[in-house]
Amino acid sequence: MILFVTRILLLAFLCVSCVERQKTPPGALVIAIESGPRTLDPRLATDATSVKIFDLIYNGLVKRNDDTSIGPDLAISWELATPLQYRLNLRRNVKFHNGKEFTSADVIAQYKFLIDPANKSPHRSSMLMVESVEAPDDYTVVYNLRQPNAPFLGNLTMGIVPSGSGKEITENPVGTGFFKLAEYSRDEKLLLTANGAYFDGPPKLNSLLFRIIPDETVRTLELESGSVHLIMNPITPDLLPRLAKNEQLKVFKKLGTNYSYLGFNLEDELVGRHDIRLAIAHAIDRESVVRYILKGLAKPATGPLSVANRFYEPDVETYEYDPEKAKSILDEAGFPDPDGDGPKVRFRVEYSTSRNELRKRIAEVFQWQLQKVGIGLDIRSYEWGTFYANIKKGRFQLFSLTWVGISDPDIFHYIFHSASFPPGGANRGRYISGEIDKLLDKGRVVTGKERESAYAKAQKIIASDIPYVSLWHSVNVAVSDRKVTGFTVAPDESLGSLHTTRIKR
Amino acid sequence: MKAYITRRLLLAVPVAWGVVTMVFLIIHMTPGDPVAIMLGESATIADMESLRSELGLDKPVLEQYAKFLLNVVSFDLGNSIYTGRSVAESISTRYGATVELALASMALAILLAIPLGVMAAARKDTVVDRVGMALSLIGVSMPSFWIGPLLIIFFAIDLKWFPVSGRGGVESLVLPAITLGTAMAAILSRLTRATMIDTLGEDYITTARAKGLENYVVLFKHALRNALLPVVTVAGLQLGALLAGAIITETIFSWPGIGRLTIQAINARDYPLVQGCVLAIALSYTFVNIVVDILYSFVDPRVRLR
Repeated sequence: MILFVTRILLLAFLCVSCVERQKTPPGALVIAIESGPRTLDPRLATDATSVKIFDLIYNGLVKRNDDTSIGPDLAISWELATPLQYRLNLRRNVKFHNGKEFTSADVIAQYKFLIDPANKSPHRSSMLMVESVEAPDDYTVVYNLRQPNAPFLGNLTMGIVPSGSGKEITENPVGTGFFKLAEYSRDEKLLLTANGAYFDGPPKLNSLLFRIIPDETVRTLELESGSVHLIMNPITPDLLPRLAKNEQLKVFKKLGTNYSYLGFNLEDELVGRHDIRLAIAHAIDRESVVRYILKGLAKPATGPLSVANRFYEPDVETYEYDPEKAKSILDEAGFPDPDGDGPKVRFRVEYSTSRNELRKRIAEVFQWQLQKVGIGLDIRSYEWGTFYANIKKGRFQLFSLTWVGISDPDIFHYIFHSASFPPGGANRGRYISGEIDKLLDKGRVVTGKERESAYAKAQKIIASDIPYVSLWHSVNVAVSDRKVTGFTVAPDESLGSLHTTRIKR
Repeated sequence: MKAYITRRLLLAVPVAWGVVTMVFLIIHMTPGDPVAIMLGESATIADMESLRSELGLDKPVLEQYAKFLLNVVSFDLGNSIYTGRSVAESISTRYGATVELALASMALAILLAIPLGVMAAARKDTVVDRVGMALSLIGVSMPSFWIGPLLIIFFAIDLKWFPVSGRGGVESLVLPAITLGTAMAAILSRLTRATMIDTLGEDYITTARAKGLENYVVLFKHALRNALLPVVTVAGLQLGALLAGAIITETIFSWPGIGRLTIQAINARDYPLVQGCVLAIALSYTFVNIVVDILYSFVDPRVRLR
């Protein structure tokens, strides 16, 4: 019997020892990420990890600069020939990782792929405004739009794949970017090597290894042990002071484009009232949450656009923390406090949030702050899929979420226009304003100063109507080994700076 | 024996059917829309409807269920809604990692638990017994989310003996196997001790001793064999649970096992993948139980498999 068990155990150990050892190639920069990319095909991905990795493997026709303006990438210049026609001049002598030359045929093929419903691309809707695409020659592409669309170029940041690319690209990407894929083991690691033929010169690093480490504490421990060189958002604020004290590490911070807010269901008989929303806006102390819970890793927001955005309007109504004012607004609204500072409340509101620990803690602080003005907050924390489905179906009174990567103000159309109720858009609170609809429609078709003024007005009206209580813009954080130089954090978390990043041996 | 194994394997069919049916119903009743998760919020209603009909999600649940069963019978688990990869392939790439970790933890647990349990029983109420059982109490009380990071800090960061996380060679298996194996070893050693104490009180043990047999022969050959039956049962159940994936340990050690895959699939409402994972887990549970029953006949020749 003992012999039998010993034999089985020996066999088990033998099986185990056959597995190949995990090696880091010499000279590689190792980056730990929370989850793996959903797909490596830019035509199909929307998740944040995929999009970050695409910055390295692919180039779009254009790219977003740090101030959210549009800059050249595979297209070196463009002109608005008529309000309905964009003419783009493409970069010459650009080679894909497979050696094929990049031409206008690839752009046309990508457009056809995106609009074909059979391909199920989540980006199809971004191309529906295009009537046709033409290629007068190998290095010119013309987009004919159905109607004028000022933010149109922003839809051309998606990485371009070679024409004829099929399903294989989801695991074997071929782009024009400064890194190319060498090895991919789903949910374990992704090894990229330098593209020596990159049009803007090869990267300084010879390889990059992304290791997928879902546990945040472990990502941090790997960084401290030196087996990982760089970690990025999400980093829990509580962990940061410990990392900042470590002399082997450097902390990078940059105000990001993510916007957290409290959303109201405007069809609700309580929070659908402007005075109730106003009272809640005054009852919430965002500064304290930023200081004590987020450890300064956020900046209170006045609206969806951050100060770094060129469309940011500073002159909007803001709601300072003033519990006394909140109380008097509620008294006037016909909701007297039954027992003053006692435990009884004027009314109760349900607050939906996800199971994320940090979000739950923030919810508890809001609960306490609102209790002080006599509003009872019932926190309902749901598993993500359920929470998200409830929000989209309008099954909420109050919720908190974050918009990720806000760049062009056209997002206002998506979240505040009355034609954008889910599922076709994200006006989840069912906010309706004729004036806002007009301004947001106008912002789509006009350019220059006229566009800026339309969004400035829209920001003022939205701030006064309070369909959202603006909470904060998060600060993007990265922590690297001191040996890493040349890395910077971008407002949209793009990894473009890895082109010039080095690692000292 | 052959007939017995065939019958048991056939009995696995209704078990698997019951489990996948329950999971099918539960996941279809849970709120959350895989189409919305896949296409993103800006998708037009028409696109969402067309994808829904392509995936068959617009059909009545019963019809979807019938189709799913037909596919399973023809060994087609479909494709993941979220990644588009074949479900069978996604599971098979992960299952190896889970089996590896489960066998290593089980091996570690048995190697620790049985000698410890036997020693504690043989020296009942002595220091050896008390220290052994105190150790096992500590082992069973340490949750994996605590012992895992603790092992990492001590062995991977301070001593640099093992990698912090990730799946690689044998060295990367040590810490996750200890994390999972400790609690199991604790349970098994207490069980071994208890059954050994019972067995050591039997008449035939007294006879064996009276015959002048060496102590270790009495302990390991005469007593342990009879004491092992309940231990094998519990170890089998635990191995079954391990094959369902140890989600916390897999997450801490970035171990690409089936537990993490199942959780990811549930979060994305990836129906085919959830069903595939659950089917794989149910079948491995059933398989382990059959193996345990067969082991009975080795441990105790009086047990006849019919």
